[in-house]
Amino acid sequence: MTESAVVGAEITNWIEAGKPAPTAEVVAGVAIEALRQAGLRPADLDAIISTTSAMPFGHPTFLTTPAQHMGHRLAGKIGSNGLQVINVSGACASAAAAFSIADSMIKSGKARKVLVVGYDNSPRGFYFSFNSYLDTDMAIGYPLKVVGAVNPTYWAMWARRRAYEMGKPVEDIKEVMAIIKEELSKNGALNPHARYKKVFTAKEVLESPVVDDPLHLYMISAVSSGAGAVLLSDMDTAKRLTNKPVKVAASAVGGPLYNEPSPRLTYFTTAGGRRATKPFYEWRKPIEDAYRQAGITAEDVDFAEVHDTSLYHVINWIDQIMGWEREETDKLIRSRQFGRDGRFPVNLSGGTTSFGEAVYAQALMEVYEVFRQLRGEAGERQVRKNAKIGLATAYGAYGSYGAIALERAW
Amino acid sequence: MSQVQKNVVPIVEGLFTWPSDHPRLIGSRCPVCGSVQFPKSSVCNNPECDHSRSPEEVLLSEEGTLYSFDIHAYDLREPFEYHKAPYAIGAVELPEGITILARLTTTKGLRIGMKLRMKVDKLYEDAENIYMTYYFEPVEGGESR
Repeated sequence: MTESAVVGAEITNWIEAGKPAPTAEVVAGVAIEALRQAGLRPADLDAIISTTSAMPFGHPTFLTTPAQHMGHRLAGKIGSNGLQVINVSGACASAAAAFSIADSMIKSGKARKVLVVGYDNSPRGFYFSFNSYLDTDMAIGYPLKVVGAVNPTYWAMWARRRAYEMGKPVEDIKEVMAIIKEELSKNGALNPHARYKKVFTAKEVLESPVVDDPLHLYMISAVSSGAGAVLLSDMDTAKRLTNKPVKVAASAVGGPLYNEPSPRLTYFTTAGGRRATKPFYEWRKPIEDAYRQAGITAEDVDFAEVHDTSLYHVINWIDQIMGWEREETDKLIRSRQFGRDGRFPVNLSGGTTSFGEAVYAQALMEVYEVFRQLRGEAGERQVRKNAKIGLATAYGAYGSYGAIALERAW
Repeated sequence: MSQVQKNVVPIVEGLFTWPSDHPRLIGSRCPVCGSVQFPKSSVCNNPECDHSRSPEEVLLSEEGTLYSFDIHAYDLREPFEYHKAPYAIGAVELPEGITILARLTTTKGLRIGMKLRMKVDKLYEDAENIYMTYYFEPVEGGESR
């Protein structure tokens, strides 16, 4: 099997979402920059894999929205010689899925140079699925209409349940989340691409309004506008193009598991009855798949970029990545050992909590950060020098997941 | 001004028996593998089922256990502004082995593991209709585990 590598990556600064933007223009900017980094031209590409949900505001969801065909529009914009174009969707994990397709195409020999692009410009608010309740064939949307459940409702329930299962008061997990915010906001303050540069104290987090108890406002990420482009090639080509190739050790995509006992975002109900798995095995499985692909274990992962639409997600990702009992994760966080010199650095980029979420582009922001960190190009945020393997994890509605392991290959 | 008689209607058709003096949640159960779903579905959701027969409609248990809950603190935007904050949303484990989302009747005194009972009550009304939904309500002194 051919090995694949990342040879270029670029992201825009993440900014406040909601203003209509020239999608193809923004995406072309990061795409051209990723190509330049590798010294390639659009004509050299074999494929573009694209993902976005950014349609013009107020636009009805017809089958042929420009958003659903952003890859084709980009190909037209930057010029192409008949390359393969695929547009991908997987909620907040979309870009991880797009990346995995590119990786698979290279590993299978179907393509040698593939550009992955993601862009989003999400409306303000807590992710209401505006029109999806009109789809009467699905439970999705009913949680909002019937029960008044928004996305943070699910995260709040998970956080509360975790505290309960650990035999702790709910204040305990609030405190852990507040510490995470304090540390991640310090990382974000060092990142020129991050939207939020303010450093929050744990006290400020706990004093922010409660929105979905036990979640306070500053424990939930905002939504943003941003774009990313990541260029992959086969390893032989990568070694010609750069003296610092970064190997794609693994790219796994996850979906909903029948036996998952935790209420899944946008769903009304769990399934699987008494054959239930351990809670959050749905999150763990793509990570296990990635470890298998890469031939590694949790101990080999030097640092991670995790998808933190709420700060509960950071806790759960550490649980799932390390396979730890929950106390061990809390200990890591409370002892603040997840910074760049810590035992297990997490979200040195500042994470979604510092960027806001440009939903369909978010995983590319993570891949960008892991790529820069492995190459020693992360400036003040740089992880300790001997880091060899970084993991990026993505999580989204409907049961969409991704886990990408990158490895220094020089 | 004459008083217009409003229709009393379910917020979504098919979630519970209505009209009824004793409404029950409507789910489905697969006769092949036993997988229970809510809302009911015409297709079994168990990936290991052979689908030789289709799921059948069943009425779900009226009592459940609180798996977890959220107390939601702000008003939603239109068209969901009728959910008036603060309100509690629970994940309720039913004896059938599924956990379903529900509005809870109170935000006070909630504890994970407590016993709850289903009831149908008004969610909101507009000029023409009174919209009913299912809630789960704490059972007095009920502790199921």
